[in-house]
Amino acid sequence: MSLLYSLARALDRVSPAPIAYAHCDIPCGIYDPHHAQLAAHTVVRMVDLINQLEKPGPNATAEQRQEYTNKLTRYIATKEQHSEIAKSELRILWADYFKPDHLKTFPELHDTMWKALKTASKARQEINLQAAEDLLKATNDVASMFWKTKGFETITAKAPYPTERQTVYPKFK
Amino acid sequence: MTAARMFPFTRFRVEDESMRPTLEPGDYVFVNRWAYRFQSTKRGDLVVVRDPEASERFLVKRVSDATGPTEVQLAGDNRIASRDSRAFGPVPLERIVGKVWIRLKR
Repeated sequence: MSLLYSLARALDRVSPAPIAYAHCDIPCGIYDPHHAQLAAHTVVRMVDLINQLEKPGPNATAEQRQEYTNKLTRYIATKEQHSEIAKSELRILWADYFKPDHLKTFPELHDTMWKALKTASKARQEINLQAAEDLLKATNDVASMFWKTKGFETITAKAPYPTERQTVYPKFK
Repeated sequence: MTAARMFPFTRFRVEDESMRPTLEPGDYVFVNRWAYRFQSTKRGDLVVVRDPEASERFLVKRVSDATGPTEVQLAGDNRIASRDSRAFGPVPLERIVGKVWIRLKR
């Protein structure tokens, strides 16, 4: 420890030096809209599965009713969870990734995000295919903006999942 | 204007790790607030700036590009653990507090 360092330390007792942060924010700049898109796909899939589920008729046995309730509950639980994942991922992108500069390029950013979060809540609350599809579309819109800010073009292609809905992917060079 | 303001040098204590190995947490830097009255910012300068994302906080970073007439790009020497212009964009020159003049290693 040098003498000058000791002097600076001693000076701190009289008048503390302000802090200059060599600031880090781990994980640095690691963002991807894919999590939100994936969660939206899951929500769509759960609504599809719920709608395909055969409802027990008046003559159904106790076992059949139990099986129906079990499946329905599991689909609903997953839909709840993944709507919330979509919301959380969208909020991270909105609050942490997107910066005022991006707003100049995408003036619709705030409105898109706000509506996306509202749609996600609707998809969570209801068994509503339209709301689930709207949520997926909203995450695709966010993905388009995100990848443009990263300097990548995007393509829209049919997803390789049972949902088979149109999905925005980056065109990596 | 206070006496402290009239004196060009001011000291800061370094925290966090984005300037490693140049600056370690606990090091002191003496900053010349008047450095850029007589010269312009250059790529490679170590500077203390007001954080573009939180004005009450100071950051110490390296100028990675000084080609803009009114703004500079900042980077941490420890690139994988630095929040800098890659995240918050270019920084206006008026946010620069001064140039690091002396580094005191702990």
